[in-house]
Amino acid sequence: MSRNDRYQELFRQALRIRLVEEKVIELYPSDKIQSPVHLSIGQEAVAVGVCEALRPEDAVYITYRGHAFYMAKGGPLPELMAELYGRRNGVSGGKAGSMHLAAPQVGVMGASAVVGSTISVAVGGAMANRILKKPGLSVVCFGDGATEQGTYHESLNLASLYGLPALFLCENNGLAVHASLAERQSYRILEHARSYGIETVRIDEGWDFLKIGDVTRQVTDAMRADGRPRVMEVMTCRYKEHVGPGEDFAAGYRSQAEVEAWMAKDPLCADTALVAELKPALDAEIDQAVAFAEAGELPGLDDLLTDVY
Amino acid sequence: MTISLPPRMTYRDGLATAMRRAMAESDNTIIIGQGVTDHKGIFGTTSDLHKEFPGRVIETPLSEDAVTGLCVGGAINGLYPINTHIRADFGLLAVNQLINMAAKYKYMFGGLFQVPMLVRMVIGRSWGQGAQHSQSLQSLFAHIPGLTVVMPSTPEAILRTYDHAVRTHKGPVVSFEHRLMYDLSFDTDQHPPVTDPFGSRLERRGKDVTIVATSIMVLEARRAAAHLAQHGIDCEVIDLHCVSRPDRKMIMDSVTKTGKLVVADTSWLPYGVSAEVCRIVAESDPGVLKAPVVNLGMALAPCPTAKSLEDVYYPDLHLTIDAVAKLVRGKADHGVPIPTHKSMTDFYKHFRGPF
Repeated sequence: MSRNDRYQELFRQALRIRLVEEKVIELYPSDKIQSPVHLSIGQEAVAVGVCEALRPEDAVYITYRGHAFYMAKGGPLPELMAELYGRRNGVSGGKAGSMHLAAPQVGVMGASAVVGSTISVAVGGAMANRILKKPGLSVVCFGDGATEQGTYHESLNLASLYGLPALFLCENNGLAVHASLAERQSYRILEHARSYGIETVRIDEGWDFLKIGDVTRQVTDAMRADGRPRVMEVMTCRYKEHVGPGEDFAAGYRSQAEVEAWMAKDPLCADTALVAELKPALDAEIDQAVAFAEAGELPGLDDLLTDVY
Repeated sequence: MTISLPPRMTYRDGLATAMRRAMAESDNTIIIGQGVTDHKGIFGTTSDLHKEFPGRVIETPLSEDAVTGLCVGGAINGLYPINTHIRADFGLLAVNQLINMAAKYKYMFGGLFQVPMLVRMVIGRSWGQGAQHSQSLQSLFAHIPGLTVVMPSTPEAILRTYDHAVRTHKGPVVSFEHRLMYDLSFDTDQHPPVTDPFGSRLERRGKDVTIVATSIMVLEARRAAAHLAQHGIDCEVIDLHCVSRPDRKMIMDSVTKTGKLVVADTSWLPYGVSAEVCRIVAESDPGVLKAPVVNLGMALAPCPTAKSLEDVYYPDLHLTIDAVAKLVRGKADHGVPIPTHKSMTDFYKHFRGPF
């Protein structure tokens, strides 16, 4: 990857996500963030590359591992941090926490903690846009495990059948919690998707935000032209444990060497000079976000029963 | 709102009118489900609407889960989806989307989204519907915060409730429609206007006993009340209607007056509507009861298919009359004759498939 302005900007965005999550790790022992955290560390380039190709009117439907996409699509950072803190000034007033991030004003249309649940919702978003004659694509992010859900199959069929511009984006980190692909899947994800008459594309270099951005732009340009769905699989790597701030190589369910090989190609690990250059300004922004969160009020009884119906 | 209705109307006509009205009033409304465009049109309630409103009446694959998710996605993006299940039992395939998503999308995101949508679930009964075509699942859904669950018992209730759901209410509504009522004609002028379309309805004033009923059991209760009136027993009948938000005051005012309570629901008794109404009385003022509560519902078993078993599975007019008379008179030998004519039961007997 050449170090041009575009590289620097996408690098900065990916590094910003990583530093925010490293701040979460730093804060976690303080118990100020009292909810499960599913960190995107290692997978940031997918969110940054994909969102580079998206327009403001495009929507993303995300997962409980959603910090990266929330930030890459433009969700406000101070409100994110306050949400993790469970404060009233959080993006959802403390009712969402880490697992249910949303910022509809920038097209982040919600995250579910039940694997696969937002896939059909995204197809519905695409249908609404078509009926209401609104512009914008629906992008739904999910992991490889979600393709095992029946609703994924149903949603591919609906999107193809109705001809809806939904981008099914599989972030394949090879793990569903602690189970490997080989333990779970008797099919190949894209081969299966093509049987619905949906065009597919695979990116092996999940650390390369430039390539992901380029491919996503080609894919989304085609979708804007023909109104059809696409399935995109990006191979990626989760550096941390499934849930929580730590690492769990000692558990023995995966190889540390494989993760280290991945990290060697990850510009956020390799390009230490650019990290050093960008980090101070990002750290300052993150510190401000933490201060915003710490200053927030705790929600209370007055908030408990609002927005139920 | 004011709605003008013909003097008599079938339940089916009420549904068809409500569907056409919802589609005509807003280009944002869609009707989506299995069979909405076929020649049967959800028992005649969506027939030909796909010709009148092209692109907005949508046939679906057999994919209840994803279709419900599609409705949630449509709802948070400006559509008003009406999703049909020709049997409530099929709605169980959509439970993840209804409970984990539709019911929570507003609260879970701190009010950033609204999920205005209507799910029509049809309860089957008679002609051997059996264990998986007959369930009354209202309490399962009414248990969940975020879902509004209604059981309209008249065409008028359908029109007012669906109109309110589509125009005003911004959340997910699950409606249980009873298949056996579709062909019944109702007088439409006997119902006083309601201030809250989702609210419970005082169907009949009386002083001796309160019958709180749902769906088709409201009809049984009214028929039982008419018969009992000829034998000196004056029943008050409450149509609970919105089972997720029963009118506590209406129930307590009535039971305080009568001192006696019968709950007649279309489903099983444990953890159900009967249990909920009893909870309301127990929490409010159990001292108003002058006798133990009587609950009527389905036998605690899956629904059998054989007619002889189905006949004893559901509570009917005769059981209702007998139970109310026993409660009011305080003895099994209550002296009220059980009618020989079999009004609703006759209807059930003459009700023939196929569907």
